[in-house]
Amino acid sequence: MFGLDFTWLLDPTYQGWLVEGVWITLQLAAVSSLAALVIGLFGALGLTLRLWWLDALIELFVEVFRNTPPLLQMLFFYFTLTQLGFTIEDPVTGLQQPLFNAFFSASVSLSLFGGALCVEAFRSGLDAVPKATLEAARSLGYGRWALFRRVQAPIATRICLPGLTNVLTNLFKTTSQASVITVPELMYAAGQVYNDTFRTLEAMLLVLVIYVALVSLLSWALLRLERLFAYPGYGQGV
Amino acid sequence: MSLRNALLASLSGVLLLGTLGAHADTLEDIKARGVLTVGIKNDYQPYGYLNDQGQNVGFEIELARYIAAELLGSPDKIELVPVVAANRIEFLNTGRIDLVMATLGVTPEREKVIDFTVPYVSAAGASILARKEAKFTQWEQLRGQNVCGIQGSFFNKTVTEQYGIRLVNFTALPEAYRGLKDNRCVAMAFDDMSLRKKLEEPGWEDYKIAVEPYEYLPMAGGVRKGDEAFLEAVNAAIVKAEGENKLIEWERDYDMPASEYIAQRAEAARSASE
Repeated sequence: MFGLDFTWLLDPTYQGWLVEGVWITLQLAAVSSLAALVIGLFGALGLTLRLWWLDALIELFVEVFRNTPPLLQMLFFYFTLTQLGFTIEDPVTGLQQPLFNAFFSASVSLSLFGGALCVEAFRSGLDAVPKATLEAARSLGYGRWALFRRVQAPIATRICLPGLTNVLTNLFKTTSQASVITVPELMYAAGQVYNDTFRTLEAMLLVLVIYVALVSLLSWALLRLERLFAYPGYGQGV
Repeated sequence: MSLRNALLASLSGVLLLGTLGAHADTLEDIKARGVLTVGIKNDYQPYGYLNDQGQNVGFEIELARYIAAELLGSPDKIELVPVVAANRIEFLNTGRIDLVMATLGVTPEREKVIDFTVPYVSAAGASILARKEAKFTQWEQLRGQNVCGIQGSFFNKTVTEQYGIRLVNFTALPEAYRGLKDNRCVAMAFDDMSLRKKLEEPGWEDYKIAVEPYEYLPMAGGVRKGDEAFLEAVNAAIVKAEGENKLIEWERDYDMPASEYIAQRAEAARSASE
């Protein structure tokens, strides 16, 4: 119908690029998702301490990294920091080398971007625990730590899981922007393939299918997690 | 920029329009009209670009004007139509232009849909730009090394496959030059002519062309298929210009590195006319 031609897929060079692309996309998504979750968790926990200076610090972090495009952040970590002198001397050549390579720059910016969104997701979960429940627990004699561990955290986790699923799937898709700072991930590989073969439609269809497959797998796994942890009244257990 | 890019895009247009070609006799037509319409580049220094006054100038523009003078008696009896790689062959075969002189590489694929004039330039492919102290002089010596490049360049596949170079490909030229200057790569692979032009800019004194291009592609003008009389007249004009050392002059005028190819063709043109 459209005269689709996928014969270029037989080319070992293109196969190599695409396989490497998928692998690097997965690595980038895994590293930045884990880091984002850790950042988000500590950020949200920090907010529960009710220290004005810590609140201000976390607030600033969230505003900066949530409200700027991840692409801009990547370019900042990749180019701007190098320009600002974040370099090390190469012992062999004596030349100044950038401190952050492309993959590291992309991971850091995605982790911070995802982390900022995770702080908000976790915080919204903690805030959504009904006050009456907390008061009831307190009246039963729960101390501050026990209250958090036994009541607030378990309920909050269930509440924020759907929000986290959104953040993580979005983060996965945002890894495609790392192609701009030369990380040879899936989009980077696809771009070179269609520039060579002029099979733009076919290359894009293939990339589309791969992303749909990978992101579906991720959101399916997270949905399973929601079901697994469901409480009556919270999450998917209803 | 990418030659293969250009080629395939133009081919797809031509497949649809190729059958419309074959005008009767362009030479008669332009003589009746009194103007030669030529498709040229206006963004590709030194071949065809706009100068400070916004005029079309360049190596190929000079040659086109010379041909107009030969065919119609004046270099000003010419209409210059800016074309891009993706539409130049289509413009030719639909009759929008009579002759295309727009950094057109001679390839068998294009040969099927247009006729080439005699080639007048041998255009270099990719070469390697690196710091002055770089020791490598051969493509093979860069195996496994990080080399900056541009995403989508037509030579990326060859360079990866044949020489095992690890290309670090940026989306655009300024970023790639930045990457090279930040020492993210030991060198940069790109279109030889562009790299040589870059070297002339301030701030690039510590750099050199470390490795010469591994391929050259002859560049020629293009006319519609089967337009014998016109093709012959254009060819005669080009050879005449070569014999008069005009192309060597223009090469100098437009700061192009002196090419042996052009010198040899000038020699051959003179010995043929004797």
